[in-house]
Amino acid sequence: MIWPMAQAQTPRYSLAELADLAGVTPRTVRYYVSQGLLPSPGASGPGAKYDDGHLDRLRLIRKLQREHLPLAEIRQRLAGLDDVTITALADEAIPATAIDGDSALDYIRRVLGPPQAQPAAPQLTPPGSLLRRIPTPAAATTSAPSVAPPAPTPEPRIERAQWERIGFGPDIELHIRRPLPRPLAKRVDRLVSIARDLLEEDPS
Amino acid sequence: MTSDPTLTARADRRLIRAHRRSQRFVLVGVTAPPATQERDRLPVNLAFVLDRSGSMSGEKIALAKRTVDEALGHLDARDRFSIVVYDDVVDVVVESTPASAEARRNAIARLSAIDARGSTNLSDGWFRGAEQVASHLVAEGVNRCLVLTDGLANRGLTDPAELARHASELRARGVSTTTFGVGADFDEVLLQSLADAGGGHFYFVRDAATIRDHITSEVGETLEIVARDVEMEVVAAEEVDVEAITPQPARRRGTRTVVSLGDLVAEQVIDVVLRVTFPYGQIGRETGVIIGLTDRDGVFAAGGRAGASDARLAWTYADDAANNEQPRDADVDLAVATQFAARARQEAVRLNRAGDYVAARQVLDATGRRIRGYAGRNPKLREIVGELESEGQTFSAPMPAMALKEAHFASANLARTRDVFGRSRKER
Repeated sequence: MIWPMAQAQTPRYSLAELADLAGVTPRTVRYYVSQGLLPSPGASGPGAKYDDGHLDRLRLIRKLQREHLPLAEIRQRLAGLDDVTITALADEAIPATAIDGDSALDYIRRVLGPPQAQPAAPQLTPPGSLLRRIPTPAAATTSAPSVAPPAPTPEPRIERAQWERIGFGPDIELHIRRPLPRPLAKRVDRLVSIARDLLEEDPS
Repeated sequence: MTSDPTLTARADRRLIRAHRRSQRFVLVGVTAPPATQERDRLPVNLAFVLDRSGSMSGEKIALAKRTVDEALGHLDARDRFSIVVYDDVVDVVVESTPASAEARRNAIARLSAIDARGSTNLSDGWFRGAEQVASHLVAEGVNRCLVLTDGLANRGLTDPAELARHASELRARGVSTTTFGVGADFDEVLLQSLADAGGGHFYFVRDAATIRDHITSEVGETLEIVARDVEMEVVAAEEVDVEAITPQPARRRGTRTVVSLGDLVAEQVIDVVLRVTFPYGQIGRETGVIIGLTDRDGVFAAGGRAGASDARLAWTYADDAANNEQPRDADVDLAVATQFAARARQEAVRLNRAGDYVAARQVLDATGRRIRGYAGRNPKLREIVGELESEGQTFSAPMPAMALKEAHFASANLARTRDVFGRSRKER
């Protein structure tokens, strides 16, 4: 019986198979190896075998090229990344999770807009862009993509003030800025309960 | 205690055509392990995000508030919660806090002061709720935002695809999203896609009186989760194409297809239907797939609490005569027909809502015809065909909003192995 994926955990690809899976020509693969963008497969010639690490790296390179990044810059950026990160980035459907400084909170704050206290760094790329999630090596911080990606779509911003509004029927509202110091909060709670007694009485 | 295998896989047919491409279906059954006494439940970190727009006034907002009171009663000091209300303005009523008895009492006092008014900025309310959850992310717990609305999102972000993209980004960063739509006026496509992409659940709340049942059951489920971020991985030969026809999000990576099943509660069962497309090949040759499970807590890993051994399926290339005569697995056929019928109904709901009654009927008729093609004398399949035919009639004229929502919710639940109330199922 044939299990084509018998070594499911570590599939080995020939040059032609790897090129096919990544949607490039074998020549491109060899070129990337010679340029240091891909690790060498170990053995050379027709017996050379590649693995998923090569495949993910290749797919990520293709993606970055689609974002108009020059090869030299791609090489620099890839150099600082481990396999897990590369896999995460290469996978379009899964947003990167393993990248420092991009927690759920960072993500939400980016969508909601920066807090007033800390002005945001100028954004060269749209917030969701792949480029944003790949740290630029210190040496390359000044190099921007040669072709500017489309302008970021304006994300909605909402008010940062934490005002609580309490309505007492259709015509009266009390506005309270939270959080309040504890003693004050207690007094306000009493106020609210008295106000409710006074103002929300059933008119009948 | 049940001793069901954790992972099973069956194919509708075992022969494939040598001289043509073949499509075969696989029914994969996953069963989560029971809760154990020696292992504490996972802590939860929940944000309750409530719509306070004008349409919620009266009974709805009152019941929503009372339900949150009640839900808080199920949490204890190891959990966290926050409460956000929104109309066109978003108010954080209670910032993320450990669920101590005192914090719960204070929350209830504050919540009781909330009234309904204004319009519906669902996206900002949701983001603020997610922000509360994310600001104290519990790495070893269940971090989820529960969003309740009764209206159309008419402020902030309103595009379902864009909201779904944010939901999926947040999910990947550990914050999941569940949605509750109350009454006839919300957008079920938006809330469903938010929940699907967000790794949570969508509930249709028919009337105010059932708000309590749905929120309570969702909070109860978060307290019962035994495996988080469960993923099914299917490995096949390169030239074999694997896709999930059940609605779980799936992605392809090289020779692997990964289907996200989300968080599973104790003893939950979930069925996934895969469509496998084979190229032609030499008669007598075999090919196959290997199916495995992974999760964040290692519950399904080899040596884990529910250590699941991989399921393997093989198919053999054969000539057309042998292919035509081979037996079919009736249970797999039924699961496949159920999925396609559910898809057709959801599409018909969308078309009917958009006013395209002819197309709504056509999509149901076409699916009925396709199922009839392999139904043979199988009574259950013929029943599905009959249902689709009679629904074609119904969908070919304008339908009331509540009927459309009922139809959507029923088929959405069927497709996701959930019961008629949207709850997880523990039996097949």
